[in-house]
Formats: sequence, structure tokens, C-alpha cells
Amino acid sequence: MAELTTLARPYAKAAFAEAIEQNALVQWSDMLSIATQFATDDELAKVLVHPSLTAEQQATALTDLCGDKLNQSGKNFLMILGENKRLTLLPQIVEAFEELKAAQEHAIDVTVTSAFELTDAQQETLSLALKNKLQCDVRLTSEVDQSLVGGAIIRAGDLVIDGSVRGKLAKLAEAMDT
Amino acid sequence: MQQLNPSEISEIIKKRIDNLDVTSQAQNEGTVVSVFDGIVRIHGLADVMYGEMIEFEGGKYGLALNLERDSVGAVVLGDYKTIAEGQTAKCTGRILEVPVGEAMLGRVVDALGTPIDGKGPIEAERTAPIERVAPGVISRQSVDQPLETGYKAVDSMVPVGRGQRELIIGDRQTGKSAMAIDAIINQKGTGVKCIYVAIGQKQSSIAAVVRKLEEHGAMEHTIIVAAGASESASMLYLAPYAGCAMGEYFLDKGEDALIVYDDLTKQAWAYRQISLLLKRPPGREAYPGDVFYLHSRLLERACRVNPDYVKKISGVEGKTGSLTALPIIETQGGDVSAFVPTNVISITDGQIFLETSLFNAGVRPAMNAGISVSRVGGAAQTKIIKKLGGGIRLALAQYRELAAFAQFASDLDDVTRAQLEFGQRVTELMKQKQYDPMSTAEMGLSIFAANEGFLDDVEVSKIGDFEAALLSYANSEFADLMAQINVKGDYNKDIAAGLKELLEKFKATQAW
Repeated sequence: MAELTTLARPYAKAAFAEAIEQNALVQWSDMLSIATQFATDDELAKVLVHPSLTAEQQATALTDLCGDKLNQSGKNFLMILGENKRLTLLPQIVEAFEELKAAQEHAIDVTVTSAFELTDAQQETLSLALKNKLQCDVRLTSEVDQSLVGGAIIRAGDLVIDGSVRGKLAKLAEAMDT
Repeated sequence: MQQLNPSEISEIIKKRIDNLDVTSQAQNEGTVVSVFDGIVRIHGLADVMYGEMIEFEGGKYGLALNLERDSVGAVVLGDYKTIAEGQTAKCTGRILEVPVGEAMLGRVVDALGTPIDGKGPIEAERTAPIERVAPGVISRQSVDQPLETGYKAVDSMVPVGRGQRELIIGDRQTGKSAMAIDAIINQKGTGVKCIYVAIGQKQSSIAAVVRKLEEHGAMEHTIIVAAGASESASMLYLAPYAGCAMGEYFLDKGEDALIVYDDLTKQAWAYRQISLLLKRPPGREAYPGDVFYLHSRLLERACRVNPDYVKKISGVEGKTGSLTALPIIETQGGDVSAFVPTNVISITDGQIFLETSLFNAGVRPAMNAGISVSRVGGAAQTKIIKKLGGGIRLALAQYRELAAFAQFASDLDDVTRAQLEFGQRVTELMKQKQYDPMSTAEMGLSIFAANEGFLDDVEVSKIGDFEAALLSYANSEFADLMAQINVKGDYNKDIAAGLKELLEKFKATQAW
């Protein structure tokens, strides 16, 4: 079985190219995320894989729910997905789309998980340091996880910088073990 | 009561804490998507390199083997039961390394170099990557020193030189491992370090090998790398490379080493399993396309290197290094034209064919002298064996031809009969017991006796007894002559005269 991201990539690329052409990146991003929110809803997810419904009916159900949030090309996009029985791929498509969008905007999403709430000043310093390191705009979101004990873990895509006390303790435990 | 560990001394603990690097470093991380049959698919890990170690939660490691567009395929090293979907997987930036050095000698380790013999931790001063590119042409030197296996049949007809790759091939139960083990035992006291890589064997067989080597005092110069039949395919696949890295340590230091891969068929099976699970396209006999490269890159690392190379790598002056490989291949029903046997035959510098029919006929070692060859060993043979051994090969070749022909002829002329009888005697003389390697002088004496016609009046069934009596007589009464041959290996008029005198005296005074 091919992987979901592999299947989702051509759709995300097509949607992205269309969005660039229409100069409506933000609008497309909104459309896709709304559609995904509906598509991942438990009730609707059942409809989307229901065997007795035709592909067209499934796609229409989704587009109707989204209502006027979708423009014509957005509706068409969902219809194509329905035709190819790929409506369940929407979460992966959004993910890939957002990646392409971030690359276009030269920005990266960074999650900082810290043991204690970060102050604004701390967030500011972090963003600046990360901007220098990663050479692109940083969109910072912060989370609190007390099990880290102290310090913080920074995640930017695949890149992880673990500066937490928990991580250091784990390292120490491993070093003592070998 | 809880046992105290040797590593629990506070000084050691303190040192470890001091040395611990806790500076946070940027790491590439991914998520485990699926785990099945020892294969893990990981999403993310954009910066991973081919062959890089991947760290899973709980201190487990894997090896990245498939780098695809959206995922990374990796094999888990060892047990994979604790790895689950959704766990994180980290790049380590390192390729797999094993501990190497003198401390490894006398130990039994697994494919990752971890001791499994219950003799405590190994204090190896260095580690070496398991994959390395073989030394190039500039670094090499031709093979010109013998590596004696202690078998008359092998050392006289298919001699092995230091730095050669000589394949031992045959069906199951034909004495392949026995030959390799004897070669290891015979290296005792020669300074040649040995590595025995057991791949996919029964744990009981491995234990038996260790016991035999210990009995014959051969464990002191031997490292055993064991990847038993119960271990995962990844360990079987890696064991030969790990063993080779341990052997290369001695090569780099300007010493001689011998490595036995027992056997590469099972490694190819393990690699086939991994490849099929990674969904690489199957080829002939369902092996992947790169199964030739699997063995060629391994065997190419066995070589002889010149002093310049040794000096450059380890700083030791004026010494050549060598790594001799004795790969073993098990054939099915004598079929040497199967995929893996033909590959390895074409890679190695010669092969020793062992045959079931000969083995069952009591010819042990069951070597087929007609099709066994050594492509480079002749240049490395001891002078005396080279001089005397030529006749043996010829006699056996003529004997085989005549033996088939003589079955139809009722009466034979004298010359033919003499050749037949001589052939029978030589065949008998080439038999040798297991765990009983012979010195150069002993071999020389036996072959000399055959060449000079001293066996002609000995009954064929008594040849074995005759030889045993002769050797014990020579070792006690002519110890000086034997020692002289063993040290120099020369063959000249004086030595020939000495051997002749020995044999005449023996036949005149002794019984067998």
C-alpha cells in the first residue's frame, strides 16, 4: 500500500498551484482546513466511506456542509477528490498544502514545549534565535508540559532541539547503563 | 541480596558523569509509522543518511536501509517488540560501529560486539565502523607468505596465502566448518589472529566450536562473532561486516589475521529476507539485485597491504598487514551453479570443493582435488611443499583418469598398474584426522615418502598407521632435521638426503 502522504501530494500540489494562480493562498488554506474539519468529524467520516452512497453524493454532502465558505474552484476540488474516492485524504492534503505554503512564505512552524509558561520576552528571544539559526520566519506556538521538569523542547518539522531536564536525565541514565 | 556490579565503583560513576555531554544538540526526529517483522517505517527523518543508525525509544537501535520520498525503511537491531507505532525515532549521525582491539581476543561477541560469553565487559580501546571501503591498488602488496591450514591435502595442492580469499564449498555434512576450525587451531603460535564468524548456526554448534578451540588452546588468538539462528535477520546480515572490522584492526597494525565466514549462504538468506520485507524487487532465486555487491564488498576487504599503508594508518613501520578470508558456502545437493555459489566462486581467489561421495567413502578431508584450485596461493607456498607437492597433484589427476578406465580392463600393463597403485596410496596418504593439523616438516616428510617410492611396499590399508609411526619416529629421533625444515621451509640436496636417511632408518628398524 502506498503511503497516504504519497497519495496526497499530487492533490496538495495541484491545489497549491491553483491557489498561486488565483493569488488566493490564504483563502485556499481556509477552505481546505474547514473541509478537513468537517471531513474528520465522526458522523461525516462515516458518510464519506459509506458504501451505499455514490462518490458524487459524498462530495456533495461535504460541499453542502461547507456552504458559502467554498468558492467554485474549492467545490470542484472536493468533487474531484470524491470522484477518485480520496475524500478521506483531506487531513494529509492540508498538511502537505501548509508545508508548501510555508516554504513559499519562507516561514516555519515551531512548537516550543516548556516546563513552565514562557514570558513574552522569552518567546521573543527564542524566535529571534531560531530565526537566525533556521534562516526563515518563525511562527512560534508554545505548550506547557510539566513532566519536562525544566528547560524546553523546540520542534521545527523534523528538527528537534531537546534542552529539557527530562531529556538530559534520560541521557545520563543511558550513559550509566552502558 | 542484590549483586554489586563492577561498574558501580563511585570513581567510575563520577568519571562517567563528568564525561557526559549534556549540551542540547539539534536532532532530526521522525515518527514510527509501522513495525512488522523487524522492519520499521518512519515518517520524517528528512536528514537521515543511508546506513545511519537510528535511535528508538528505550535505547533500541535500527539501521536506515531504504530512503524513500515520504518515509524511511529501517531494520531493528535485535528485539523489536518494544517499538510501537507513534514512537519517536532519532537520527544519530553515526554509522554502526563495533569495538575492536586486542581485548576482543578470546571472547565470544554478538554482531554488535557485545560480549555474550559471560566473562564480563570488554575494555576495548577503540571502535571501528563496520562498513569500510577496501584498501585500493596503491596500498596493496602481492600475496607471498603462506597461511598454513595444517591439512596435507590443502597445503600441498590448494595452498592459501596470507591475504587470499579461499572459498570452502560443499553440501551439508562434508566437513566445511571442520576444515576452517582446524585452520584456526593451526594458527596457534604463528601470531596470526583469527576471527570466526558464525552466521545462522545452532547455538549448540557455536558452543561446541568454542569448546573445541578452548581445548586446543586456540581461543587466545581467536574472536568469535556469533549471530545464531535465533537472532534477527539484521544481526545475521551484519555479523560478517562486524567480524571483518575486527580483523581489519590487525591488518592496519601490520599483523596477519584470518577470518572465517561460516557461512555466507545464510547471510544471503538473511539479506534476502530484509530486502523482500523492505519491498525491494526480487531477482533470481528471489535475491535482491545487489546480492553480488553484498559479498564482493565484504570479501574485497580481505587483502595484503604494503608497509606504506600500515605506516599511514597506524604508524607502525616496516610491516605488511594481511587479512585472509575463508568464506564458507553451503550448496544444496551439490549444485554449485546456484546463484550465491557462482557469485562467491567468481569473487574469491580459488575454492576448495568438498564432496559428499568422497566424505562417505572415508576420504576426509573430502576434498575433490580435481576441481579445487587456488589462484594465488602457489606464489606463497613453502619451498619444500611446493617442490614436493607438484607430484601429488599430478599423481591424483592421472589416478582419477585411470581408475575410471581400469574398471573395464581386466589385465593392465605394469606401468598402468603402478600408476593406479601409487594413486591409491596417495589418496590414502591425503586422509587426515580432524583437530590434528600437521607441521610443514611432517607434511614434507609424508609427501617425500610417497614421491620417493617408500610407500610402494606398504599395504594400502596400512598407509595411515605407517604415516603415524613415521611421524612420531621422526619427531623423536630426527627432531633437529624437522625443526630445521619447520623454521626455514627450504628444500635442497642436504634436506633431501636427510629425509632419505630418516626413511631408510625408519623402515629398517621400526614396525607399523
